[in-house]
Amino acid sequence: MTVNNDILKIFGDYVIKAITIDNIDYIEVSKDKLKETIEYLTKEYNLHYITSIGVDDRPLTRTLRVYHVFSRVVEDKFIVIGCSTDPHYPHVDSITPVVPAANWAEREIRDLLGIKFRGHPNLERLVLPDDWPEDIHPLRKDVPYNLRSVVEVKVTYPLKRPREHTVLPVGPYHPLLHEPEYFELYVDGEKVVDVEYRGFHVHRGIEKLGESRLTYNQVPFVAERICGICGFTHSTCYCQAVEKAMKIHVPERAEYIRSILLELERMHSHLLWIGVACHLLGFDTGFMHSWRIREHIMRLCERLTGNRKTYGLNLIGGVRRDINKDGVKKAINVLKMVKEELKRFIECLLSLKEVKARLEGTGILPKNDAWKLGAVGPTLRASGIKYDVRANHPYAAYKEASFSIPVYTEGDNLARLLIRIDETLESISIIEQLLDKIPKGDILAKDIEVHEGKIGLSMTEAPRGENIHFVITGKDNILYRWKVRAPTYANLPVLKVMLKECPLSDAPITIASIDPCFSCTDRVIVIDIKNGVMRVTSFKRLLRCKI
Amino acid sequence: MKRIKILLMAKKAGIVTEPYPYKPVEPPEGFRGKPYIDPDKCVGCGSCASVCPPNAIQVVDLIDKGYRRIELFIGRCIFCGRCSEICPEDAIELTKEFELASKSQNDMYQVVLLKMVKCKICGRYFTTQRNIEKLLKELPKDLWDTILVCPECKEKSTAYTGSYAKR
Repeated sequence: MTVNNDILKIFGDYVIKAITIDNIDYIEVSKDKLKETIEYLTKEYNLHYITSIGVDDRPLTRTLRVYHVFSRVVEDKFIVIGCSTDPHYPHVDSITPVVPAANWAEREIRDLLGIKFRGHPNLERLVLPDDWPEDIHPLRKDVPYNLRSVVEVKVTYPLKRPREHTVLPVGPYHPLLHEPEYFELYVDGEKVVDVEYRGFHVHRGIEKLGESRLTYNQVPFVAERICGICGFTHSTCYCQAVEKAMKIHVPERAEYIRSILLELERMHSHLLWIGVACHLLGFDTGFMHSWRIREHIMRLCERLTGNRKTYGLNLIGGVRRDINKDGVKKAINVLKMVKEELKRFIECLLSLKEVKARLEGTGILPKNDAWKLGAVGPTLRASGIKYDVRANHPYAAYKEASFSIPVYTEGDNLARLLIRIDETLESISIIEQLLDKIPKGDILAKDIEVHEGKIGLSMTEAPRGENIHFVITGKDNILYRWKVRAPTYANLPVLKVMLKECPLSDAPITIASIDPCFSCTDRVIVIDIKNGVMRVTSFKRLLRCKI
Repeated sequence: MKRIKILLMAKKAGIVTEPYPYKPVEPPEGFRGKPYIDPDKCVGCGSCASVCPPNAIQVVDLIDKGYRRIELFIGRCIFCGRCSEICPEDAIELTKEFELASKSQNDMYQVVLLKMVKCKICGRYFTTQRNIEKLLKELPKDLWDTILVCPECKEKSTAYTGSYAKR
């Protein structure tokens, strides 16, 4: 029995719409039964929570909408549960008590669209700065994308500092973390007791930009700049979402090229992380060697795509540049060399007992917590759960390659290191297989028809975990809604579990072990840095940093 | 013993740091560097400006002077090469130049000025002279009359003839 029929049978009268498009089961329920529906579904089916999306649908249906997106673990299917609410009284039941992973997504929707969630345990601001006016919700359609002048409003930011513990601020600018974010570590002697995270300092309003100013084919170039390291996976994910929505058939050769470049990206991202991890452990030789090996990959990317970071290759319907025979030959040679060098380096790295001692048994993330809080990617797989988008929801040309998914059950920092090492080696094998049987043909689909009001959903396995893009197509060559969820967004909440009871000296490597990429996470909003109130907030923060 | 392995690995790799900038670096084939608009080829159609994701290329008509100004600002450019892909005249090419730091802001701009022509009905500047020359080459002789008419005037005149025909 399909999910749709099941739901219709049980919640018959409350189901407004239940349709299936490709591999997406779309169910729209009355908002009174939203929580019950999701409670039932998560109990009956093995569902993995992905994200929640708020849409301002007032121009079309005069409602505000919320979509909760789940994926099924056992088969390649997605479930989207939607409900609408009256814009004059936007209240929806929170699903966080049932699905704890939805915590951040709901807070984000509250910030950006002004939908309130009843029964949410902690409905505080997440994305918007503290001095943002209460009644302006940037993702609503009546707010212009270039809004600058904001009324001065003073909101006090409640400090949740337990009296008996010392607060150790890490950030917002800290030499250890290369991007602006703020961790408040509560310590008791040398032990970390609790941690609060406050991020989203560098919002860039990319979603709003994509919905207002950029055309379909301009968005990939912005999408790949969401992340400074795993950009190609974002543009691929976006293009796939639009291609799904408009039913565009992508040439096979283009899919192969995408997969090859995605794996190259995974390799250089993991090598970068291994280097950073060595650096954080004080093993700078390892850092140098890891980055030296990484440089070969970067040069190869430059040769294949014209840019070190594989930027500017994706368009809707395929890729812009072909890999010629010379390129294939060069790639094979480079990969062979990298494989050898990497193996030698890994052998050295893992034989050092200092490295092992620092990583083994630190920052443990138990399996249950990982699944419940919605960890993704290597962080999830290091805790013993075999879930990889490339295998569970295959995209591009991953069906054509055989690869294994490394899984470790320890859930500690060492497991997360080993996962990344194994994945890097696995990537080499995937690229070699794909280069071997890359088919001939076009690389860009022709005659693309644009349809309005279609929903597209796509997931890719970025180096840091799964990455999701959700689009609703609009008119005049512009998207109606574009939602991005980067992997770090899902991984940050689990830090709370990992850091608890861990010695302070292990905190940096533990924070780094999820391979955090804060730029990916902070992508949602139009911010005004120049208004006076912001200065007040940062001054307060500065004062706190001086403690 | 293990530590010796690291030393051996380092010895084998040798010095990998390149002596840049003392020794110039040659980018690989197919590298997308600073775009260059060939002022002799450009007809001022503005396709590049409409396709450019970061709005690095802007086309402005200087109505009082009778010139169309195509301005490329490298400071905004993301080197995607969409402009060169879309250009119907192959006037834009992405060079291998990547050392773009400069003390003068003017070095960040490339400006192409193209002479414009007036509509023979309303007398407003509406397109570039080079575009007209191109059309003269491509279109058959019996359509030459309409080339010098701006789109708005063309619309008006077809609307008139349309209603005339109906009568």
